[in-house]
Amino acid sequence: MSEAGPVLLATALLKDYPMNGETVHALRGVSLRVHRGDYVAIAGPSGSGKSTLLQLIGGIDTPSSGSVEILGTRLESLKDRELTRLRLTRLGFIFQRFHLLPVLTARENVELPMAEAGLGGAERRARARELLAYVGLGGRADHRATQLSGGEMQRVAIARALANRPAVLLADEPTGELDAATGQEILDLFRRLNADGTTLVVVTHDQRLAAEAGRVIHMLDGRILGD
Amino acid sequence: MIPVSLPRWLGASGLFCLLATSPAAAQVAEVAIERALARELELSVGDTVRLGTAPDSMDRRAVVAAVYEPRPDPAEIAKRERHLRMHLPDLAALLGVPDQVDRLGVGLHPGVSADSAAAALNRTAFGFRAYPSSAIAAESSQTFLVVSRFHRAIAVITIVASAVFLLCIMLLKVEERRMDAAVMRFVGVRRRTIFGALLLEAALVAAVGSAAGTGLAFLAGAATNAYYRRFFDTALTFSQITPQIVLFSVLLSLALGLAAGGLASWRLVRTRPMVLWGRG
Amino acid sequence: MNGLGWGVKSLARHPLRTALSLAGIAVAAAMLLDMVMLSGGIEKSFSEMLLTRGYQVRMTPKGTLPFDSEATISGASRLVIALRSEPGVEAAGAVLGTSLYGRASDSLVTLFGYGIEPQAQALYQLTAGRDLARDDTSGILLSEPAAGLLRAGVGDTVTLVGRLDPQIAEAAIGRKLLVRGQVRWLYDYRGQPSVGTLLPVMQRLARQSSEDRASVLMVKVRDDALVAVVAERLRQRFPQLEVNSVADLVVHFKQRLVYFRQLSYILGSMSLIVAVLLVATLLTITVNERLGEIATLRAIGVSRATIVRQVLAEGAALTFAGATLGILLGLGTARYLDAILTSFPGLPAAFSFFVPRADTLTFAALVLLITGSLAGLYPAWLAARAPVAATLRAEAT
Ligand SMILES: Nc1ncnc2c1ncn2[C@@H]1O[C@H](COP(=O)(O)OP(=O)(O)OP(=O)(O)O)[C@@H](O)[C@H]1O
Ligand SMILES: [Mg+2]
Repeated sequence: MSEAGPVLLATALLKDYPMNGETVHALRGVSLRVHRGDYVAIAGPSGSGKSTLLQLIGGIDTPSSGSVEILGTRLESLKDRELTRLRLTRLGFIFQRFHLLPVLTARENVELPMAEAGLGGAERRARARELLAYVGLGGRADHRATQLSGGEMQRVAIARALANRPAVLLADEPTGELDAATGQEILDLFRRLNADGTTLVVVTHDQRLAAEAGRVIHMLDGRILGD
Repeated sequence: MIPVSLPRWLGASGLFCLLATSPAAAQVAEVAIERALARELELSVGDTVRLGTAPDSMDRRAVVAAVYEPRPDPAEIAKRERHLRMHLPDLAALLGVPDQVDRLGVGLHPGVSADSAAAALNRTAFGFRAYPSSAIAAESSQTFLVVSRFHRAIAVITIVASAVFLLCIMLLKVEERRMDAAVMRFVGVRRRTIFGALLLEAALVAAVGSAAGTGLAFLAGAATNAYYRRFFDTALTFSQITPQIVLFSVLLSLALGLAAGGLASWRLVRTRPMVLWGRG
Repeated sequence: MNGLGWGVKSLARHPLRTALSLAGIAVAAAMLLDMVMLSGGIEKSFSEMLLTRGYQVRMTPKGTLPFDSEATISGASRLVIALRSEPGVEAAGAVLGTSLYGRASDSLVTLFGYGIEPQAQALYQLTAGRDLARDDTSGILLSEPAAGLLRAGVGDTVTLVGRLDPQIAEAAIGRKLLVRGQVRWLYDYRGQPSVGTLLPVMQRLARQSSEDRASVLMVKVRDDALVAVVAERLRQRFPQLEVNSVADLVVHFKQRLVYFRQLSYILGSMSLIVAVLLVATLLTITVNERLGEIATLRAIGVSRATIVRQVLAEGAALTFAGATLGILLGLGTARYLDAILTSFPGLPAAFSFFVPRADTLTFAALVLLITGSLAGLYPAWLAARAPVAATLRAEAT
């Protein structure tokens, strides 16, 4: 793993979806380089391939062709188990609809990736509290996910994404389900995270977010229009 | 020599039918043996056998005069006993107890009550007891009463188990339709319509299930009969599916299915669509 | 656990559904337990009953089982002496069983009589008074029902009447005896009015003394491990007799009650199938409902193995709770079913069909837990195989 090289490197990504005999070209050759400490926003009209790109660079889906490297590791060369491990330890995901586990408490949701990574009980509880305090939810640790508001859920999701100290945080429309004020709180949190050294790649329709990001990538029809 | 030991009461089972025929005083005793015994000892009509009350006193000769198929008797199937029938004097001679029997059969004139006749005999007689045939039949069917009570208890447990199973499956089946119901509600389909559709589906599932279950029951019954008939070498019927049983089972499962389906559907249509959708 | 109990905790999300499944599993588990108890209980109860006094071998007339017929063995005393001199034999005794009558005020009651040798008996346990001495030809032992019928207690005198002759209309042989003790006859059915005297007394009452007849000879072998060997030797030495060790008798008996054993296998397997189907259906449906959650977990790096473990744990928890309820339910129903079956006419009162034993309980619970957990395999596979990207996208619709 080269410390100097890019955290994330995507080269000539193509993604086709077969659809009723036809082929949907979701990505038609996308290359992207993200460095440590970057705050990248990906913008573009609906259907332009933003989510697809995020899934490919997050190792959730595989490209039809092209390659993705995270900290110098090529994802295509990994077995499913190794890829899962990489997502667990190197990447953090934030979804539009939070996707917390409703049966667990806020703290348990944050603890879950640490437990999966094999962290001891006391250690992960302490870190979960720390992270929840960081996102401003110190007092709600023992509430069930279902008892939280949308903004609170998204903050728990952010704490969860940070749990294993990922190299990159990937977020797909993290403010899409939130009202303007709550969305702003999340943006503030992102800014603080980036200031504290976290690398962020955020897909968004939100003009404010695009304005805050250091870099904005515009997409159209599966291609990058401008960086 | 294959010993066929003759417990005393065994002779009794043959007595009544042979009393009716006039016993021929043959030189050599005649015996009728049951088919299973004939097969096991490889005997056929005309063969001579030696009989005795103990292996060391097999000194009576008898000729196999007939091979008979015993009336299927559920009380006998699990026993490994083999029966043969002989004329009363021959048996008495064999046992060394001349003019002694275990039972006497008494035929009454029409219109005479068996109970009062037995009571009258018991008042005057000494050394034996008289019983009406019905009392003896009741006594000997006691075993089967116990078995059938056992079967009924097992059946109740099975019915409870299958009822719970059915309720559970129906509930799950309806809840599977959660999302569809939510979508239908979103696009403005009336609750009553959704409820009707869900109920219809439950009814269909219950009906198809009952039909399949009935078919399966007949198959299982046939298999049970075939197996036990072979196993016990008998013509008895072990599993009998009567129309009443079919009716009861089908009605019960339809009723339970509809009730469970109805209940689950009712719960579903009363829930707010947003909650159904999982965002409540 | 890695999933922090995500699987098991999910069971609480649909309480009605979970409760119904639990009830179903509990009833199935109860049935399974009962059937396991039935399949092994008959055998166990029978052999325990036969071994109550430690006599491991029974000898009867060729081709018969003990007290199965009225066939008897002649020359009993001689045989017993021969048996006692056999190497490995600790004790041997003869028993004659016969029906006879007792005089209660002015009427006769039907009794069952045992002729025994008190110094070597495997038939009764004393409950009151004292045992017969080996030369006590004027003493008698009564079972509780016999004492009731004869209205006699320890210290009273009773009159027994042997074989009756209808022609003379008078008791052929009558005998006054003094009640020494009250006993529990091990092989009596409930309410059986049985009496016991020394063997020669009973032989005379039954008109069996001229040939010194007995129904059964009972043999106690010094060492349990030698029973089969001793039985085989006795078989060779006394070819005119049927020699059965308790193990042999259990085999005969099992054959007779084969119906119950087969029934127990069939119903047991069906209960198991029902339990498995319930667990599998419930888990399949809840897994399908939670595909979004599962995809999320996979996306944030939770391994397939963790997810499989969670689903299996969910099935195991369900089965465990169901089985626990089922064991309680099963013990209750077993008592009820046992009460029905033990009312078989002529069945020894000491006999049970459903015998709760630690090992059968454990066996039933283990089988259920293992199969219940295996029932989670299909849903677990469904969960593990869910495509992450497509499911996440579908969830967003
Ligand atoms: N599984 C799939 N099967 C077929 N087509 C797909 C699939 N996933 C995505 N697509 C298509 O790929 C294209 C890109 O989709 P994607 O979700 O990446 O767009 P997006 O930029 O994220 O849009 P939005 O802003 O609405 O979220 C779309 O045309 C979409 O229809
Ligand atoms: Mg998108």
